[in-house]
Parts: sequence; C-alpha cells; structure tokens
Amino acid sequence: MALLQISEPGQSTEPHQHKLAAGIDLGTTNSLIATVRSGKAETLADANGKHTVPSVVHYMSDDNFEVGHKAKEQQAIEPGNVISSIKRLMGRGLADMDKIKEFSANQLIESESGMPGVVLDNQVEKNPVEVSSDILRTLAERAEQTLGGELGGVVITVPAYFDEAQRQATKDAAQLAGLKVLRLLNEPTAAAVAYGLDTGSEGIHAIYDLGGGTFDISILRLQKGVFEVLATGGDSALGGDDFDRAIAHYLVEQANVDSDDRRAHQLAMIKARDIKEALTDTDTVEVNFLDWNGQMSRTQIEEIIAPIVDKTLLSCRRTLKDAGIKVDEVDKVVMVGGSTRVPLVREKVEKHFKVPPLTDIDPDKVVAIGAAIQANVLIGNKSDDDMLLLDVIPLSLGVETMGGLAEKIIPRNTPIPIAKAQEFTTFKDGQTAMAIHVVQGERELVDDCRSLARFELRGIPPMVAGAARIKVTYQVDADGLLQVLAEETTSGVKADITVKPSYGLSDDQITNMLQSSFSHAEGDMEARMLREQKVEAARVIEAVSAALNENGKELLSEEEYAAIQSSLEQLNQTSQGDSIEAIENAIEIVEKNSNEFASRRMDASIAKALVGHEVDEI
Amino acid sequence: MAEAQRNYFELFGLEPNFFVDQKELSSKLKRLLQSAHPDRHAQGGSQQQMLAMQKTTRLNDAFAVLKHPVKRAQYLLQVVKGIDTTKDHTVNDPEFLMQQLELREELDTLAQQKDAAGLMTFADKIEAMAEEQEASLGQRFEQEDWDLEALKVSIYKLQFLHKTLNDIELAEDKILD
Repeated sequence: MALLQISEPGQSTEPHQHKLAAGIDLGTTNSLIATVRSGKAETLADANGKHTVPSVVHYMSDDNFEVGHKAKEQQAIEPGNVISSIKRLMGRGLADMDKIKEFSANQLIESESGMPGVVLDNQVEKNPVEVSSDILRTLAERAEQTLGGELGGVVITVPAYFDEAQRQATKDAAQLAGLKVLRLLNEPTAAAVAYGLDTGSEGIHAIYDLGGGTFDISILRLQKGVFEVLATGGDSALGGDDFDRAIAHYLVEQANVDSDDRRAHQLAMIKARDIKEALTDTDTVEVNFLDWNGQMSRTQIEEIIAPIVDKTLLSCRRTLKDAGIKVDEVDKVVMVGGSTRVPLVREKVEKHFKVPPLTDIDPDKVVAIGAAIQANVLIGNKSDDDMLLLDVIPLSLGVETMGGLAEKIIPRNTPIPIAKAQEFTTFKDGQTAMAIHVVQGERELVDDCRSLARFELRGIPPMVAGAARIKVTYQVDADGLLQVLAEETTSGVKADITVKPSYGLSDDQITNMLQSSFSHAEGDMEARMLREQKVEAARVIEAVSAALNENGKELLSEEEYAAIQSSLEQLNQTSQGDSIEAIENAIEIVEKNSNEFASRRMDASIAKALVGHEVDEI
Repeated sequence: MAEAQRNYFELFGLEPNFFVDQKELSSKLKRLLQSAHPDRHAQGGSQQQMLAMQKTTRLNDAFAVLKHPVKRAQYLLQVVKGIDTTKDHTVNDPEFLMQQLELREELDTLAQQKDAAGLMTFADKIEAMAEEQEASLGQRFEQEDWDLEALKVSIYKLQFLHKTLNDIELAEDKILD
C-alpha cells in the first residue's frame, strides 16, 4: 500500500501533473466559471467577491469592451451601447427574430454569415458569437488569474434543448475566445453531476432548470457514478425573462406608456425584475414606475406568471412520457436556475412531482459546479474515476423528402454518440445531382422544423429513375454535433459536411477572426505552430511505440508491424526538421498506418471490460 | 478486421437468441461504455477520439437493436439465416388484415375526437396484444427447426402493433400541443 501523501492546502499532491480546467455556465442573464481545487468544485469570484458575472457587454466606440457588473451599470446610462441576453440570438437566423423580444428590429441587421448582427448606437456592430466570445474570454481571464496559469481546457454548458445550430454557435464562440472545448455539456446533466457526486444521490432524478431565457427538463437515472439521461425536453425560448416581460407589460399598461417608447419598456423590464425578486421574500411591495405609483402583491404577480409556469409543467409531463417513467417513480427533483427562486415555481413543481424539490446546492451555481467536475475528469486529473455521462439528442434529426415533408433519421432522446443511415433514390431518369436538406424538429412539415443545412451530392452517374442508391448517414458526436455524409453506393460518389452553414460561421471565418485578433507578428505565429507540431509528433511517437510494445506482436501481422515501425522512424526524422507541413504529413501517415491497430487495441480493451466483470461475478 | 465484424450479440457476449435479459443487457452496456465512451479517451489524440466515437456508436446501435423485440427478431433472422425481413411486407392472413383495418379505424376515430382518455385505454389494449404477440414469437424462436414463414408473419404482426403504439403517441402529442 502506498503511503498517504499530505499536501499543502490549495495544492494537489502532484502539482506538476495537475492540469487546469474549468467549467463555464454561459447563461442568458448571468454566467459563472468554476474549477476543482483540492478535490472540491467551486465557483470563482472576482476581486469584489462576486461570483456571478452578468452576461452583459458594454461596447465602446474604440472597440474596447467591458463585461459584467460594470456593463450592467451602463445599461441605465447608455442602453443603446450595451448588449444583454445575447444567448437568445445564438444559432438563430434573422427569420427567428420576431420571437425574440429583447432586440428591436432596427437594432438587428443581417451579417455576412446569415447570422443577425447587433448594431449599437455608436455604430459598433457585433454578431452573437463575438459577444458570447467576449463573455467567455472575461471568464477565462478570471480563472487564469485566480489559478495562476493557462487553462488546458473548458467544459461549456448549453441548455439541453439547444438545437444543433445553437450548440455549434457556442463552440464557435469558445474557439474565437481561444479556449479548448473539452465538451459541450447539457445544463441539467451538469446539475445532476453536481448533486450525484456531492450528495451521493441515486435513483431517478428530474432536473427542472428554469434560467433567464431557457427552460430544460431532464429525466436521469443515477447509479454507481453513471449518469444516464433517459429523456430531455423543454423550450429554448422560455425563461424567467418572460416573467419579467409579463410583469413589465402590466406596469406599462398601468403607466399608460406609449408602445414605441423603447426606453420606458427597458426601464419597465428592470423594474419588473426588482419587483419579482422583492416578492420572493415579502407579500407586497410599493411600486413607483414613471407616473404610476401603486402596490403589487405576490398573489397578483403569481396570477400574471402562472400561465408561463404551467407551460413548463406541460413539458415535464411529455418528457416523463418519453423517458417511460411515471410521476411516482421520480425519486428526486432538483431545482436549477435563478428563476426557480420564485415561490410559485417551487409550489407548482412540488405539486406536479409530488416530492419537495431539492435546492441544497445554490441553483445559480450548480451547473457551473457540475461542469467543473466533468472538466476535471476530461482533462485527466482523475483518470480512474468511474463517472460516466450518457446523454441524448434533444430534438429529432431528419431530412426533407418529397412534398416538403420531414423524415426522421434519428429520433429525439436517442443516446449519443450515434450514427444512422437512410437510403434514398433519384426520381428522374438521368438525374446526376441530389439536394439534401438537413432539418431538426418534431413536426411533419419541413417548414415547421429548423433548417440546419442544405448541400448537394453531385456526380451521380446517369441512371433510370429509382436505380441510384443514395445513402445518407447522420453521425452525432458526444457534444451533440452533427456530421452528414451522402454517398451513391453503386458508384461511390461522396459528399460530406459538418453541419454549420445555415446561421453559423465557416471555419475560414473563425480562422480569420482569430488571426486578426492576434497582435503577434506572422513569424511568431509560425514559430509557435512549429513548436506545437513538434510536441504533437513526440506525443504520437511515444503513444504508438508504447502501444506496439504492449501488444503489437499479438494484434498485428509482421507486415503491419513493420509498416507502422517504419512510418514512426520517418516521423522521428522529419520532426527534427523545420517544416510544419512535412511533420503534419508524417503524423498523418503514422495515424493512417496505425488506425487499424488502434481500433483492435480498443476492441480488445472493451471486450476485457465485459470479461473481467463476468469473472468477478462468478 | 475480425473484431469489427463481430455481430451485436457477440459485442455483448451473448449467443444469438431471441430471449435477452434486458436488465443484464443494460448493465453490460454501461460496463462496455466505461471503456469505450469518448469521455474515457478525452486525453487521447484525435485518432483515438474518433475511434472511441465509432465504437460507442456501434455499441449504442447494437443496444437499440437488442432492446427492441421487432428489431432483435429481424436481426436474429439476418445473422442466423441471412434473411432480410425489414423490407418485404406481404402477409397473406385475411383475418389479421381485417383486424388491422379495424384497429386503424378505431385509432383514427379517437384521434379525430381528441379523446385522450380513450387513446390511453386503446394503448393499453394494443400493449396487451403486443405482449401476447411477443410471447408467441418467442415460442416460435424456441423451436428447434425455425418455421421461417411463420416467423416472418409473427414479426410482421408485432411490428404492426408497435407501429400502432407509436401512432397513438403521435396522436396524444397532437392533443397536448
């Protein structure tokens, strides 16, 4: 048995091996960053001891910006130069804008990428990915200052009900902020992790997550460190802001405000939030809004917001059904998100699930804490941990077929990663191209679903109608991101895309934005890339050599072994030189030659997992 | 290469058989994913992560097939006898065809009347029929010499009942919206 090691407080036992990782809750109203220190996950505070960062950005005309409390203060002074609730625009097109009330039509323009851009009074123009990226950068800086080093990777949470485009936009924002994303994690799953690990909670959990602008409900089974999402549902455009809006609407009516007075409406929103927060602890408040002075009671605002809460319960019912779980099988209900502080929400949720909801962990912080735990595992600080998160896709993925109908290829609540293929054929003689329209959603008509991407498979050999065999494969990875491959199987003509174009940025656009944001000279960039390639080459050589030593003889034929060996030697030589491209190529050759070997090794270790346990059980 | 060709039953360390202990299957999946899941390979290179995604995808796929009685039966016939029953749908059984029509009509009426309670009772009835059909399919697979025609018909009947259950859910969803 190893001797116990006692370390300095605040340091891990092996400081040189401990890599810095953080979990980020990028919220509509507030954001947080958390990390695991001395085995405990905690959110990080700013110099003033404040943990939450308002997701508000103030842009100045000289392109400087400030994020958080300072920006929020500016909201009352120059609202036209401050952007808040940007999460509502992530992954959305201009066509969706009528549903999003935070931004008036004259503030939004169509940008090059098809995304909406926000134009501020000082003519500064920002797209949602840029704004989110500025928030992320601010959070990451806080972590790096507090922890005293560069972050090796982050886990960023997204609403479980976020669609593909919204997820991709979030990942793009992180990339733009120069952060390595270890995983996009669903917010309710993150909350379950925090509860499961902190309190050792097991059984069926319903996670009710009502944030500022989104609502999620996830049903999970927690068992021996495995967090299995059974079903998830919600509304990615419903949240506590809607409470504020409903109350603001009442205020505006009382004060007889002109419907075009944007300033007054914004003030009403701020006032509404104050009233809502005040009425969580007291029964009545005095209200002075413009010319109107009056009193509002808790009962009164509860009447105003009840229809919104009821809407969330309808989602709960549907999601339980999808999970195949009856209400009385739910062991625990966990409350997440600031809006679950509203007493009516707690009352109604308790009545619906027939168990008192848990709020042991601060509903504002629980998501960031769960994300930090996952980040710590993924960065490799806790390699032998049994924790495993099994998540699902929230919305069905489909393809447009004849007559504008959406055919589902992967139904909602399918565990990820997953791949599914469907065959299609041509409907005209001699047809050589086929348009493929990827959609997401539950409705039968394509127009009612969300359009994710359109692409064309060209070069199909001319045949009679119905003779071509076009196989369309959807692959969803562990982040919930989709890749689509189309192939004509008789001829082997292929086309594949990573789904992103509809309202997103292309990879080139991101690279350009990243490069322009670097102040370094080009030479510095190249030196850095060369260094990185050499490190990568060394890593590949070490990993593959170790694998060969371990079971290369066992799993490979002599020729296969020799081929890998010689490509390794080649890489070793090349990596002494100064050509980035040559090293890249040599790495690629090693990976190509050793792919089958790596696959067999993985199969062997997976099979062992099964056998090892069966022996244990006897 | 040999490993990649292992069938879904073999992946889970099972003999090809219609009877599958669902609880055991589910706990085996979790054990397999403990070593295959991409989160377990987050520190590996891109090649390793890609492989982990592929292996997990295959395990998830295999699990979905072995879990579902219709898919499992079809897969079993495919693996053992090389027969594809997923495409061919001709059943010459007038009595069953008649029953099919009647059930569809009953569903359509309930859906049109937006009768949520009626749909629930109807779902219970179909579920009972599906259970019975599944048991009878299981018995056919138990026989030493498989009666392929009878198996095909039996699978088709079960498939029809599952499809009906699915349509009941869609009808219920529409009432909820």
